[in-house]
Amino acid sequence: MLRFPAWKVAIILVVIIWGAMLALPNLLTQSARDNLPGFMPKAAMNLGLDLRGGSYLLIELDDTDARDPRLLELSSAIQENLILRSGEGGRINHEVSQVGSSVQVKVLDADKLGAALSRVRAVANDRFPAPPGGGAAFTVNRLPDNVVEVRLTSAGNAQGNDLVASTISVIRKRVDPQGVTEVSITPQGENRIVLEAPGESDPQRIKDLLSQAGQLSFHLVIEGSQRLQPTDENGLRPMTLPYPEIGPAGTLIVDQNDIMTGADVQRAYQAFNENGEAAVSFTLNNRGTRAFAETTRRYVNERFAIVLDGAVISAPNIREPIIGGTGQISGSFTIESATDLAAIIAAGQLRADLVFVEERSVGPGLGADSISAGTWASIIGLILVAAFMILAYGIFGVFAVTSLAVNIVLILGALSGLGATLTLPGIAGIILTIGMAVDANVLVFERVREEQRAGRSPMSALQKGYESALSTILDANVTTLIAALVLFQLGSGPVKGFAVTLAIGIFSSVFTAFVVTRWLTVSWMRWARPKKLPI
Amino acid sequence: MLLKLIPDNTKITFMKLRIPALIMSAILLIGSIALVFTRSLNFGIDFAGGTVIEISEPADVNVEQIRSVLGGLNLGEVQVTEASGTGLNAERVVVIRIGKQGGDGMDAEQAGSEVSKKVLTALSAAIPSFNMDEDLRRSETVGPKVSGELLQDGLWALFWALLLMMVYITFRFEWHYGVGAVAALFHDVIITIGMFSLLQFEFNLTTIAALLTIIGYSMNDTVVVFDRVREERRRYKKLPLVRVIDIALNGTLSRTILTSGTTLLALLAIFFFGGEVLRGMSSALIWGILIGTYSSIFVASALLIYTGLDKHRDEDEAGNAAADPADDGEVAAGPAGN
Repeated sequence: MLRFPAWKVAIILVVIIWGAMLALPNLLTQSARDNLPGFMPKAAMNLGLDLRGGSYLLIELDDTDARDPRLLELSSAIQENLILRSGEGGRINHEVSQVGSSVQVKVLDADKLGAALSRVRAVANDRFPAPPGGGAAFTVNRLPDNVVEVRLTSAGNAQGNDLVASTISVIRKRVDPQGVTEVSITPQGENRIVLEAPGESDPQRIKDLLSQAGQLSFHLVIEGSQRLQPTDENGLRPMTLPYPEIGPAGTLIVDQNDIMTGADVQRAYQAFNENGEAAVSFTLNNRGTRAFAETTRRYVNERFAIVLDGAVISAPNIREPIIGGTGQISGSFTIESATDLAAIIAAGQLRADLVFVEERSVGPGLGADSISAGTWASIIGLILVAAFMILAYGIFGVFAVTSLAVNIVLILGALSGLGATLTLPGIAGIILTIGMAVDANVLVFERVREEQRAGRSPMSALQKGYESALSTILDANVTTLIAALVLFQLGSGPVKGFAVTLAIGIFSSVFTAFVVTRWLTVSWMRWARPKKLPI
Repeated sequence: MLLKLIPDNTKITFMKLRIPALIMSAILLIGSIALVFTRSLNFGIDFAGGTVIEISEPADVNVEQIRSVLGGLNLGEVQVTEASGTGLNAERVVVIRIGKQGGDGMDAEQAGSEVSKKVLTALSAAIPSFNMDEDLRRSETVGPKVSGELLQDGLWALFWALLLMMVYITFRFEWHYGVGAVAALFHDVIITIGMFSLLQFEFNLTTIAALLTIIGYSMNDTVVVFDRVREERRRYKKLPLVRVIDIALNGTLSRTILTSGTTLLALLAIFFFGGEVLRGMSSALIWGILIGTYSSIFVASALLIYTGLDKHRDEDEAGNAAADPADDGEVAAGPAGN
């Protein structure tokens, strides 16, 4: 117990120096940190959102109406099949629409309903094979009014189980199109996403960016056109959409068939139009370029509508054929709203509606105040505890306080080295550890006092004191560790930070009290050779 | 030269006080449970759902005006209070609390997530000096679904902490000790919750964190005492249990006072200087340290007497122990304070 051969001392020193090196970057400015020699660790502790300011959003995917891109493909496959004359019942007139996570086919030739049902089933079978785990990927139902519905089952939805992943990628592209900010977006549980944006203390802009589905499509405008009037031959089908640009109740009649969709847009960015107003420029992929060129060549002097989430945002005239695959959306944009719209278009469509079920944001003012409050509380707590220990135990108190200082350095070093996040409750955890860390020292010192009173020599009293306190110290710390582990499981953000510092504090407290204090005490006794321990 | 807080060789007969102490604890327990059922708890938004917005107090507008601005928004229950913010030279802040929004399922979630925007827009329009970028200190919204889950998670965490402590203590000690230790934990948790109900302090996620920490600390304290009881029982095989417990409590008294003393000092530093955000947590912990220290002595240890531990021999003394079966703890308790 009282022997400290050179190798043990070496290990103690290595641990302390390593801890100090890991903790050091926290005291330096960024530039001083960058100038550290290569072998030195450079990472400072991450500060939690509650200390640096920022926003936390918990987003739930409302997948009752998930938009699965595979359903779009299914719709066109059904359309292609039902117009074939060679199929059962010949050509079947119908209308296909996508409703939430189902495709609905309205059969216009009522007598061919049975044939339509079996052909739709065959197409769906082709597209959505039964999942390997058994069960069906979809159901085909007959609804009133001669409607046949194909609905994905949860097993079928799970086959395209990248709903969360694809949503995260769309969110990232919208919120952080340049990939320059520190926004972190992570899945949580089955259908939730956590978005953390340090430095962004107003989450409203992020929420606005994410509240739109981003379903973009281009349509010919029927309203006010001589040429574009629906007939049986040209297949034009009118639909009336809101057009807020021309007034709160403004509408525009456009063709239901789209020329192309957001999937054909390759790039979108904020630009300025010829009048110097903010606008959104876009570039199309090959397919989109071809379709757009074809349509604009045929319908010069007609208008087309750009539709986002069921509302017309712009309806320009086709002055000449657009064959280069680029275009521009003008409207009453500010630079910011044009930038946001470009991000939404470029990121593509969100496959599910997003609901913000929890949000917390902290402004920079409160964050800075919290850091200063936490620092002051730590310093004052440390001074009080140190004074108390030295008053109670004299020179032994000095040893305990010295090892308490080492303890704090090790906690800071461990937090930096592990890349843990420091939160305000985390600081409280450190302060609490300061108070509780002396417990192990106290347990030993009290034992030593007793043994000395019982007539043991100093060295023997010290030896016995450490021996008999060991199991108590371990028992007592395991209980706090259990509490910290449960806390870690429970917690999110700030509370988790508290659990982490508490747990790290337990390990470093036991190490410093049982090893560092003991080493200091023994070294002092070998040097001072006291006849009686001043304890 | 050293400050002797606790004189050496104290011979306090703690166990003489066990009956009044247990009665007092029972009254506190019943009172706490009754309080929780009658007064309920002041749940924060973590558990109740709703929105909290904290802004710097505007120079030109008073709380009454803010109240009337927000009253027109039709957001249900709105509370506006003044407080001093975090930090040493804390500025005055205004805290706005808005209850959970009505509606079913996703509609309620949606309505809740729009509250902060509505409030901030209204404030910007009504208060000329209000600048959202500078004056908004924090804004938190918890939807009804998440608040329900958080409460459930919090209760589960308490359950698991208590269960794991029970497992640990029965693994390390005899079951007799386990009963006392766990009773003390329930005692501490319930009375702390009772205090939150009495004072109507906000009960939120950090309160649960504080409760778990109290569980850890109280158990720590109890284990130190029990370790000593076990040790003294091996040393004084013939002494009645009541005497042995008193010897163990006196032996650890100095440590008990010193450790809870330093921990309390650290917590007082957090309470007074750590700012408003940590005040709820630190007040719960301060209370918990006091009650946890008390319960290790007067609940956990006192209950040892009633679990039949005196008839039971600790493991390694089974064969050679010569404990006199006539040594009944009850009877021998009298002359303990020699």
